[in-house]
Amino acid sequence: MENINYIIPEITLFLGICLALMVGVFFRNSFSVVIKLSILILLGVIYLILNDWGGEQKIFLDSFKNDKFSDYFKILILISSIFIFFSSDQFVKDKMLNKFEYPIIIMFSILGMFFMLSANDLILFYLGLELQSLALYVLASIDRDNTISSEAGIKYFVLSALSSGLLLYGCSLLYGFTGSTNFDEIGVSLITQNTGAIFAMVFILVGLAFKVSAVPFHMWTPDVYQGAPTSITNFFAVVPKAVGLAVIIRFMDLPFKNIIEEWQTIIIFISIASMILGSVAAIGQKNIKRLLAYSSISHMGYALAGVATGTVSGYTSTIIYITIYIIMNMGTFACLYLMKTDGKYSEKIEDLSGLSKDRPMFAFSFLILFFSLAGIPPLGGFFAKFFVFMSVIESEMYALAIIGLLTTVISAFYYLKVIKIIYFDDSKVKFDDVRNLSIKATIFLSCLFLSLYFISPSIIGSLLNELFI
Amino acid sequence: MLAHAIFFYFFSILAIFSALMVITSRSTVNSVFFLILDFISVGCLFIMVGAEFLGMILLIVYVGAVAVLFLFVVMMLNVAQQKQSWFVGQKSTHIPSGLIVSVLILLELLVVVGGWKYKENIMSSSNLVIDTSITNTHSIGSVMYTDYILYFQLSGVILLLSMVGAIILTYRKRENVKTQSYLKQISRDKASAVMLKDVEFNKGVKIDD
Repeated sequence: MENINYIIPEITLFLGICLALMVGVFFRNSFSVVIKLSILILLGVIYLILNDWGGEQKIFLDSFKNDKFSDYFKILILISSIFIFFSSDQFVKDKMLNKFEYPIIIMFSILGMFFMLSANDLILFYLGLELQSLALYVLASIDRDNTISSEAGIKYFVLSALSSGLLLYGCSLLYGFTGSTNFDEIGVSLITQNTGAIFAMVFILVGLAFKVSAVPFHMWTPDVYQGAPTSITNFFAVVPKAVGLAVIIRFMDLPFKNIIEEWQTIIIFISIASMILGSVAAIGQKNIKRLLAYSSISHMGYALAGVATGTVSGYTSTIIYITIYIIMNMGTFACLYLMKTDGKYSEKIEDLSGLSKDRPMFAFSFLILFFSLAGIPPLGGFFAKFFVFMSVIESEMYALAIIGLLTTVISAFYYLKVIKIIYFDDSKVKFDDVRNLSIKATIFLSCLFLSLYFISPSIIGSLLNELFI
Repeated sequence: MLAHAIFFYFFSILAIFSALMVITSRSTVNSVFFLILDFISVGCLFIMVGAEFLGMILLIVYVGAVAVLFLFVVMMLNVAQQKQSWFVGQKSTHIPSGLIVSVLILLELLVVVGGWKYKENIMSSSNLVIDTSITNTHSIGSVMYTDYILYFQLSGVILLLSMVGAIILTYRKRENVKTQSYLKQISRDKASAVMLKDVEFNKGVKIDD
């Protein structure tokens, strides 16, 4: 019975969701109450996870695995979701999205991600994935009176359902060829060359690559990013990506551990393609959300380069990369909440022109965040790329490293173009003076972290050292 | 055994025939009816191999819920008389490209089948003990609520989410909707409900004022 302690964060989160639903139904105009309650619940879950930090337990016939790796990612997504709740509060109210279901559906998707992260079994993994994606479909089209948002929701739903189908097909093939749905047992039986299992691996990888929007499966990203309300885009850009990468690492580290030759080429291809397309296609974008969508595609390419090495140091560098990526994106999207003229939110890059004259601090935080996204030295984004390329070079994959560095240079062009528009163009639009402490605090914390990261670059790495043993 | 064979061939031929009719019949409503017939005959086949739980679930879920839903959609969209010009009549550009893709997929599947290798002793290595003394429903229930309780509960969470999601995407609070209020209805008395009026000759009476 004491085994129930290992799943207590998930149980608490689910009971919290039910409580929030009840509160939302029985009180009128309960959005602000429910969002505060949700933040409290998420904080409580962080406490419970920290309370039980460390150790590795498998429960429910080894299908649910509670270890440091999953705990780290759970805390990462909880903290980023809390920051999203705080910083998007004003935006959600302005856009009339303040229905009480909004935080509840986000919590549902977090619950699904918890099970994806802790899954040690294909069935549990797929159930978690479905819970997460179903919540994301609703979130993408939550601004239902807006045609672009509904279109984004439908597009995401159709494509994501297709990729889930492929993934499920892969799961069934894998079960057929290995005789088990358990990750550990699959890992043990996949030692020899097995054509069928390689097909299964490819199908599963397609499904996972779709979830992190890596290149051949990236088509939905710009449209969904643009169509969904900015607060939801913020969530999409940060949380599901981190979980998708974590799950890719899980799959490569456990069931597919012994067929590394087979998946390594695929991951290298996906990584290179994402880096190239993400940097080239972003150049012509005029909408800042689309620009960030392409930027996130290329960032996924860099993160996957770490996975492609198949070594512990590569995985660790990917986790460092995704952590810094989350912090950069939290700051950047918080900046988008400030782009408001006459009460309307603007998404055009040209509206930023001449920002440095009337809002120097806002312009400066854009500068730090975009320099960091581009990977310019003293900032955090540089170290993220540095660790990834170090581990790639350690594994002697020089071509991948060279292409990665070249695409970094290309992508620097469009980040710098935005900075040039902010600092050297004539002012066109004057933004409202938004006095919102939580948005500014998010930007400030993110910029502070990115600019002071060079003092101790190994801080995340040392935290992660004990993740893979 | 002869009766068994006769029933088996009867239901399988029925299943294949109705599956063909689903895709070839002109009227969409007929297609749905043939789909239901298909489900029923496959359900009977399941019962014949001893999987009575699966057969019943097929009847309840697919015939009872899914097919009826299809029927509703077909009737509401008013596509019952839609001509399948796609299939007959003028030349279609879909068929050649579709054929090419299907042939490619078939070839790829042949490649997989060519390299087919099951895990050794897949049947004997599975540690499933089949207890023949209890029914299928009993044995499924006994693992579903014990070993696989997490999956079962998680499926419930997914259903809850789909309900909440459907409500948030479609529910609109409409203005000027007349709703029933029991309290108001019960608390009416004779004085407010009944009115006596003298009707003047040739003038009538005005009710709404």
